Parts: sequence; C-alpha cells; structure tokens
Amino acid sequence: MRRGMFVKGAATAAVAALALTACGNSGSGEEAEADTGPVTWMAMLHTPTTPEKDGVIETALEEHTGQKFDMQWVPDASKEEKINSALASGSLADIVSLTVTDSTQVRQALGSGQFWDVEKYLADYPNLSKIDPDTVEAAKLDGKLYGVPFQKIKARYGVLVRQDWLDNLGLETPHTIEDLTKVAEAFATKDPDGNGKDDTTGFIDREESFLVGFRSLTGYFGAGDKFEVTDDGQVVPAFTTDAFKQAMEWYRGVYEKGGVNQEFVTVQKQNQQDAIAQGKGGIVVTGLFEAKNYLALAESADPKTPMKWALVNDMRTADVEHRILTDTGGGMGGWLAFPKTEVKSEAELEKILTFVDKLMDEEAFALMTNGVEGTHYEIDGDGVVTITDQTSWEQEVQPFSSSRPSEKVVTYKSSTPYVDEANELMKENEEFVVINPAQSLSSDTFDRQWSTIEQQVNDAYNQYITGQIEMADYEAVIEGLRGQGLDAIIEEYTAAYAKVNG
Amino acid sequence: MSAVIAAKTAAPETATSKVAPPRPPRKRASALWKHKALYLMAVPGILYFLVFKYAPMGGLVIAFQDYMPFLGIGGSPWVGFDHFVRFFTEDTFVVLLRNTVVISLLLLVFSFPVPIILALLLNEVRTKVFQRSVQTVIYLPHFMSWVIVASIFYVLLSTDGGAVNNLIVEWGGEPIPFLTDPDWLRPLYVGQEIWKGAGWGTIVYLAAMTAVDTQLYEAAELDGANRLRQTWHITLPAIRPTIIVMFILAIGDFLELGFEHMFLVMNSLNRSVGDIFDTYVYTTGIENGQLSYAAAVGLFKGLVGLILVIMANRLAKRFGEEGVY
Repeated sequence: MRRGMFVKGAATAAVAALALTACGNSGSGEEAEADTGPVTWMAMLHTPTTPEKDGVIETALEEHTGQKFDMQWVPDASKEEKINSALASGSLADIVSLTVTDSTQVRQALGSGQFWDVEKYLADYPNLSKIDPDTVEAAKLDGKLYGVPFQKIKARYGVLVRQDWLDNLGLETPHTIEDLTKVAEAFATKDPDGNGKDDTTGFIDREESFLVGFRSLTGYFGAGDKFEVTDDGQVVPAFTTDAFKQAMEWYRGVYEKGGVNQEFVTVQKQNQQDAIAQGKGGIVVTGLFEAKNYLALAESADPKTPMKWALVNDMRTADVEHRILTDTGGGMGGWLAFPKTEVKSEAELEKILTFVDKLMDEEAFALMTNGVEGTHYEIDGDGVVTITDQTSWEQEVQPFSSSRPSEKVVTYKSSTPYVDEANELMKENEEFVVINPAQSLSSDTFDRQWSTIEQQVNDAYNQYITGQIEMADYEAVIEGLRGQGLDAIIEEYTAAYAKVNG
Repeated sequence: MSAVIAAKTAAPETATSKVAPPRPPRKRASALWKHKALYLMAVPGILYFLVFKYAPMGGLVIAFQDYMPFLGIGGSPWVGFDHFVRFFTEDTFVVLLRNTVVISLLLLVFSFPVPIILALLLNEVRTKVFQRSVQTVIYLPHFMSWVIVASIFYVLLSTDGGAVNNLIVEWGGEPIPFLTDPDWLRPLYVGQEIWKGAGWGTIVYLAAMTAVDTQLYEAAELDGANRLRQTWHITLPAIRPTIIVMFILAIGDFLELGFEHMFLVMNSLNRSVGDIFDTYVYTTGIENGQLSYAAAVGLFKGLVGLILVIMANRLAKRFGEEGVY
C-alpha cells in the first residue's frame, strides 16, 4: 500500500512537472490550462463492459469541453466496497462520483472536509448556476455542498406488467394492489405464455428487494421514503411503520401463492434482467424507463418475442392517496465530488468545474445520451431520435449515460417503443412524489450505524417474506436494534427536524 | 505452504554448518561469505516477505485506534482495547465463533481425509494411462475460481429452474431450497470444498508414495500380505509424516476459512449459520466502514490461528513426529 502510494505520487509529480513545462512553452493565458494533465474521473459503470479508452464518445467530449479526461470505471454492483476502500486509502480521482447518498463511509468522508465545498463557485458557471435550488438544498450536508449534485428525475419508479400475458388471460391492466395481486397469481398459475408448462411467476424480484423493488411498493401502502414524520413530529424509519408491515404481510401472501420468484434473495440484477427477458415472470417493480431495455434484451434473444409491456405509474391501495416514493433522493442522485488531495488549488477546481459545466451543455448531453449522430443514432425533422446501431450504442454510449451530471437537459422524442411513454409517465410522477424528510438533516448515529441497522432489518425482511420467521420476530429484530442506535437516530433526527421546521 | 518450503531449503545449510569443523570468532561472517550464492538466492524471497507480509502488519495498530481514513494512522485517536471489548461482549461473537468452528471441524473431518483416500486408491491403479487421466480430471476444479464454482452450483441447485430440482420435481419430489435453507449451507459448503480441492490435494500424498521402497511391497507379498494389508502396513506408515505436516497446516488454517467462498454462497436467509469471521470482517470493515473494529476482529482470528499452529506442532513433536518447524 505504502509503496503503491509512493509510486503513484512519483507519477503524479512527473505528470505535474511535464504539465509545468508545457505551460512554460505555450506562454500564459487560458489556452494553457487545457494542456495540463487529463482530469481523472471515478464513475459508476452500469453495463457489463467498459467503453474503449479514448473511444469515440470520450474523444468527442474532450473536443467539446477542451479538456482531456480519463475515466476510472467502477462496476456499479461493487461500488460500495470500491468507493469505501478508495476513500479509506485515499486513492481517489479528481472527480469522484458518489452515488450512494446514505452510506456511512461517504457521509463521514464528506463531513470530514476531504472534499471541496463548491456552493460559492456555482454561480460563476452558466449551467451549474441553473441547478434546481431544491436539488441543491437536498444535496447539502450540514448546510454545505460538498460536490455538484447529480440531477435526476424525481421519481422514476412504477410497475411494469406484461401486457401480452394480460391479453392472453383476458385480464385488465391492474391499477390497484388488489388487482395486481390477482394478476400475480394468475401469471403464476394460469400459464400466461401458453406454452403448456408451469414455468412462469408474477413478480421477478431480486436480492435488493428490501431496498429497491419492494421499497417502492410500500409507498402505495402509505409508507415513507426511508424515513417519515409521524403525527407527533417524530422522524422514524419507514420500516418501523404499520404501513410498511402491512405491505410486508401482503407481499408474503403473494410470495406464498407463488406470485414472486421463490429464490429472489439469491438473484442478482443481471439474473433478474435475464429472467425477465426469458419470460419467467410478468411483473417488475422498477424504473419505468426499463421497459425498453427489457424489450431490447428479449429481442436480442428472440427477434419474434411477443413481449409487450403495460407501464403503470398510478398503482394504489383503496384508502391511500396517489403517491410514489422517490428513487433518486428527490432528484438528487449523489455528488460529483472533488477531493482536496487530488484537486489541490482553487485554479484546478475551477478548471474541473468548467469541465463539469460543459458536460451539461446540450451538445455534450446528446453525446452522452444518444452518441454521435450518424454513427449511433439519427434524428428526423420532428426531433425523433432513432438509435441505429444498438450494439455500439450499448458499448460506447450507454456507459456514459449514467455519469451525466444532469439527466434533465433535454427530453428527446424517440422511435424506440416505450421511451416517450416512460418519459411522459415519469413526468406525471413528479406531482405525487414522496421525499425522505431526513435527507438533509444530520445525525451522527445515522452516519455511524445506519448501514449495520439497515442490513439486519433487510435480513429479517427476507426471512419474513420467505416464511422463515413471523411478524413478531421481525418486530423483535427492530426492538433489538433500538438499543444499537435506532432510537438515537430517531431522537437526533426528530430534534433536527423540529429545529428546521420550527 | 511457502513456510514449509522455506524450512526445507534452510535445512541443508544448517546441516553443512554442523559438519564444518569449529572455527574461531569470525566463523559466522565467513559462513555467510562462504554461502553467499545461497543467501543471494534467498534475497528476493526475503524481500517479498518483508514488503508484502511484514510491512503491512504495521497497519494492525488501527485495531487499537478509532481509525479515520482522512486523519490517517498518525492522526486517529487511540482507544486501547475498546474494539476487542465490544467484539467479545456482542452477541455476534458467539454466533461467529460457532459458525466458524463448526465449519472448520466439518472440513477437518470430511474434507481432510478425502485426498488421502483418493491418493491411496490412485496408487493402486495398475494402468498408468488410466491413473494419469483420472488424476488430470480431478485436478481441474482446483483451477476454477470460487465465483465459477458458486455459479455452477447456483445454476444446478436453484429452485427456480435449477437442474437438480427439476429432476426432483420430475420424480415427484418437493423442490429442496439448497441455496437458502440454513440446514443445507454446511453440507453445500463442505461439498464444494471437496469438489474443488480434493484432486489437487492428492498431489502431495502421491509424491510421498513414490518414495516408498518397492522392495517392502515385494517382501510383504512373499509374507502373504494382500493389497489391503500392504496399504495398511506399508503405504500409510510411509506417508504418515506427510499427513501430519498437512494436518498441522490445516490446523493453522482452522479459523482461516477464507472470505471468498462463503461470501459467494451466503445470503440473508442462511446468514445465521454462514456468517464467519472472514465475512464479518468484510461486512463491518468494507461495507459498513468500521475499519478499526474489523481490524480487531481480524487480529483476534490471526492470533487464535497462531496459537493453534504452535500447539499442533508441539503435539506432533511429542508423538515423535517432525512437525513443520
């Protein structure tokens, strides 16, 4: 470790020395700034393969921004351990994408002043100055903004149901939990794909059910986004509430009738997508934008796939109003943070902010969303975008799309099925969004203990759904955690909430 | 393993220095000079151990600190034995110890003898071609990473369309949740260990068996001993030192189950029997960011391992065997 750091330090010194000579040669001024060493960027990779280094998109972005940069890809599945160990060892890049906003390690690192506070600089840049003030507020920790927030659509989740299976069975598209239950059971028992075999189920869930899919479902029962404020002003975790437990009881019922894939606790995201593409199940609780990806995946295996999706964004239970939990922390998908160990001076910070600002230009946004016109996509007179080379788009463009500082620069019309529909429905969602009231509050105990607490409740949840334990045991687990910091978190958040809201 | 090799290579040197006639004071330096070529050859090995094994041990001090990455080892506050106290008083300690010890014992009982039995069987095979091909085939799993092994078993054993469960259902049985049932985790784990490691483990025993004097077998045959008797009275005693060395090494790894394998077969449903020290260090240290606490747990595990090796070695010596050092 020590030695590695030394080597790296030496390399940095060498690069810096080279950069200095470069400056000397080209005289003074702003042109010289672009000549200094490439900006390094540690970013999440949501695709199976990394794009080629210095590939088309990277080169085009470098041309547009006038800034050379190198990507250091971190596979999204292992981002927590990668980012945590990078934070612990100090081996960071100039720009670090921090997308796990409630991680203990990340919050500690941000709170410790390892990163630049960028708030006062934002106003100097054309795009950065236009970031939604709500998003900036949501991104602050203890009143300080330790990075440029990733701007996302506020609530992207919904329920996807196989429309062709509904048609086969003569069922209506479900809009209530009651109907959804019936559909899940029918999908599991009535052979919706008509192949004569009992090989289908309702929900295709995965390992992260508690944090992702099921969590979104609890919103329909009235549970809050991670935390909620009770009538007497207490800020409590959603998983302790009656609405959440009611949702658990319902989901276990569906599971027992075979309406959920039975071993979802062993299923990884990739397995889940494969299972959906192979038609093993017909209901997915996920981002509405996923419909097009599932279809593309199914088509790549079988071009004649009968797959059709119904996108539902208004699922409800009888006595709860229309609501949807945010899956992006209220439009804030994390931070582009700049560690002081790598970005040593204000001048360097300004250079990097310029780079990030330019990535939010329409042209750069188009590159990171659609790719290069003529190579990856075509655009017609009505502004409808057609991806012409799906394979190279997936390899060269898609990896960058999750690193866009803002997802809201332009909404393109698309000829790909479900894209426009999903965009429309996600926009509708904004009105009904429920956001974590504790997001920008601070609690020391939360920062220290939350990961541990959440994992234990997560385990208990999985055990309950699969029938290993009963509701009383789940409640006992929560009671047991009260002494391990849960009560302290509630107390600290409640106090902080009362302070902010008078 | 490398320790054994080091010990073996060091042995001839001590032998020669004993044989050499007594010399005046400067004998050590001149001995050094005399064997300079040998020492020179040892330098890369020594450097390797210093840089990659001993230098990082300095980092263990964080077990006695409240280590914060941005403050570094120099700046983090010292907390003494706090982390150890917390570890020994928490409920998880008992669970972790039980899980680790049970699995280690199962491995010693079921997994350790398999290579010996395999090697004995292979040794009896007369057709060389058959022996070699069987050997090669059973080595193969050793070269697969745990990720591959776990994935193969996942595809075979899943209840959502796994081959084994499909067969069970076809024959009218109820699907068995091999991957999530806590009762199945231990058999699964030990089975995978055997499948992956047994073939490779035979190498060392087969090598020991080739050293057995064939005249002994001929003599035994003349005395009317059958194959089984020959194996029992000649082959087994001949490889006994090897078995004992391997056993001591296995004891040294008693708590050192390794993180990767368990991490891959564990999920929230079988965590109650699957969580071992190694996975716990990973989840608390890397996932939850309690670096100091995780370091304390790891240090504890290492110390227990050291004590076990020393005890096993003493025991071996008491029974008149050579031991590992």
